[in-house]
Amino acid sequence: MPSSTGLPNRVIPVLALAAFVLVWLLNLGVVQPNRIVAGTGYGLFDATGWFGAGTVSSLLLVVVVLATKPIRNRFWVLSFLLTAALMSLPLLLEVFALRKLPADSAYARIGIGAGFWCLAFFLALMLLETLSQLKASRRVQLSVVLLVAAGWWLCAAREGLSSLSLIREYANRADQFSQALTVHLSLSLGAVAISAVLAFGLALAMVRRERLRRPLLGLVSFMQTIPSLALFGLLIAPLGALSAAFPALQALGIRGIGWAPALLALIAYSLLPMVRNTYVALMEVPEAVVDAGRGMGMSERQVFLQVKLPVALPVIIEGVRITTIQAIGLTAVAALIGAGGFGTFIFQGLGQAAMDLVLLGALPTVCLALAADAILSALKFQETPR
Amino acid sequence: MIELKGVTRRFGEAVAVDNIDLTIETGEVCVLVGSSGCGKSTTLRMINRLLPRTSGQILVDGEDINKADPEALRLNMGYAIQSTGLFPHWTVARNIGVVPTLLKWPAQKRDERVTELLALLGLDPETDARKYPHQLSGGQAQRVGVARALAGDPNILLMDEPFGALDAITRESLQQEMLRIQRQLNKTTVFVTHDIDEALKLASRIAVMDQGRIIQHDTPEAILRRPASAFVENLIGKGDRGLKLLALRTVSGLMERHPEPRHPEPVTDSLNESDSLRIALSLMLWNNTEKLPVLDASGAEVGIVNREQLLKVGA
Repeated sequence: MPSSTGLPNRVIPVLALAAFVLVWLLNLGVVQPNRIVAGTGYGLFDATGWFGAGTVSSLLLVVVVLATKPIRNRFWVLSFLLTAALMSLPLLLEVFALRKLPADSAYARIGIGAGFWCLAFFLALMLLETLSQLKASRRVQLSVVLLVAAGWWLCAAREGLSSLSLIREYANRADQFSQALTVHLSLSLGAVAISAVLAFGLALAMVRRERLRRPLLGLVSFMQTIPSLALFGLLIAPLGALSAAFPALQALGIRGIGWAPALLALIAYSLLPMVRNTYVALMEVPEAVVDAGRGMGMSERQVFLQVKLPVALPVIIEGVRITTIQAIGLTAVAALIGAGGFGTFIFQGLGQAAMDLVLLGALPTVCLALAADAILSALKFQETPR
Repeated sequence: MIELKGVTRRFGEAVAVDNIDLTIETGEVCVLVGSSGCGKSTTLRMINRLLPRTSGQILVDGEDINKADPEALRLNMGYAIQSTGLFPHWTVARNIGVVPTLLKWPAQKRDERVTELLALLGLDPETDARKYPHQLSGGQAQRVGVARALAGDPNILLMDEPFGALDAITRESLQQEMLRIQRQLNKTTVFVTHDIDEALKLASRIAVMDQGRIIQHDTPEAILRRPASAFVENLIGKGDRGLKLLALRTVSGLMERHPEPRHPEPVTDSLNESDSLRIALSLMLWNNTEKLPVLDASGAEVGIVNREQLLKVGA
């Protein structure tokens, strides 16, 4: 009897063929004489020669064949193959650098082309599809992600990739990078933590007093509608005035620009998803469950702590998850008012037309958001009865 | 013993329960029956103080319930409701153990009690105990609900249409379980239902309610034989009350007992001692016979029921 895994898979061949076409059509990489001048692009064959182009093409063709033929354990083979390919993907850039980077120029560097990104993206999609076909557990999924991350980490540390523009930008700013990471994390997570406490209090007040619901939800919704840049800007004047009036605040580092207005704005934005989810979660605890708890002799406190809160927890965590992802993204914008974080690199890069510096800010921001998503999803999964 | 004296409950202008008097003796099953909105659930919820009463007195064993701490009062009253109200984030075992935990029983005593109750309600102490409520069927969930109500070994059981949402077959089997458990435990029970057949089957006494008042409070047989008003007559159904009357009694009370149990003759049909007279009549009609043998649990013939006598019961 043919099992579902025995049927030809349609998703993977389509993705592999799309990757095949794109990687041959688009530039794999760019050689720049220095960090600002636009460079010359190279396609897959020019960039990596027979060996590189052959390896990539045959890998994609093998994937197509494996996905369509009813071979036993093919999804295990595929996931193994795709993980290995993704892990070692930066080696393509190393081959490219070896072949095309002018040896005499100290400023020359290589940039990553659209072809490379497409290849990485489609490989990742195919890997996702194989893992879902295998019904891989969270643990397996997490190990795959860690393996790929470790592969890229090892590749980035190799001498051969030191000419990669992104890595040069990083090397110039290694200290600033770790500082940006600290600032970015403490700003976004601090805002989430503070607004979680506030939101919990507000939601509780709304649950207890129905009258408060409309004005409170209206207020937090209104704050969400202010454009983020405007809110960051709007806070400069009042905080500046406060700081000027009270030297004690100044000593704490609270000024019109910097972390203080950024934190306030982030908290303001985090309140809506947090308050809404917490309120809805608490309100949607089935009346019968609460009634049963009371009827069996639980005190109001026991009903809340042992019944309402745990039943509501998955939805509350979902609110924290959405808020955290949003706050990590918004913190990047907060760099505009001098709050620091990865946004600093993005705005510097935009100002200097150095796209790889923009990437140096954008990529870690995305990674942080994905990591937060993964951790909080796992936590929510843990708390949901199955 | 539970006594309600002149109890009234108003919701704003509306009167849900109107000056009722009701005495529920220790160990009896009092079924409050009536159409929806007649005040039966409100009455039940006033007994464990989930709803405060507007006026009147409710006494449990002679003590006014308003003098006791409401939580302590409820811990001594098992509570089962139609939608079960099982805690979705707890396993079956933990759900059943709620009241023992609240009563701070030692863990071992609590676990033994949970196992005992799972067995009593026909659930598997091994596999079912570890399940979560959403993995149970409706009937299983309701069994857990009843087990949870019994867990703290309360003196009083309050049940608010516990079998109302179940299909006919599951409801029937749970009613049988209730009867069996009640014979074993003898809890003072207040049971709310809108189903008169359920009431006739389970009750020692029935209180028929309409518009917040108790219309009639009597044994099932008396209610069937002497309905107090047209409303009660309608509720029990004029047409088949003879059959309902037969359903109240078992064949063991009516049969001519043999001096010695004997080996049954291989006839087409026979009765069990616990079968109702209604079933006996039905089987006689089906087999077109005057007499049916009655077997005991071991399969030995212990007596004979004959149609002549059976038909006199209704008179």
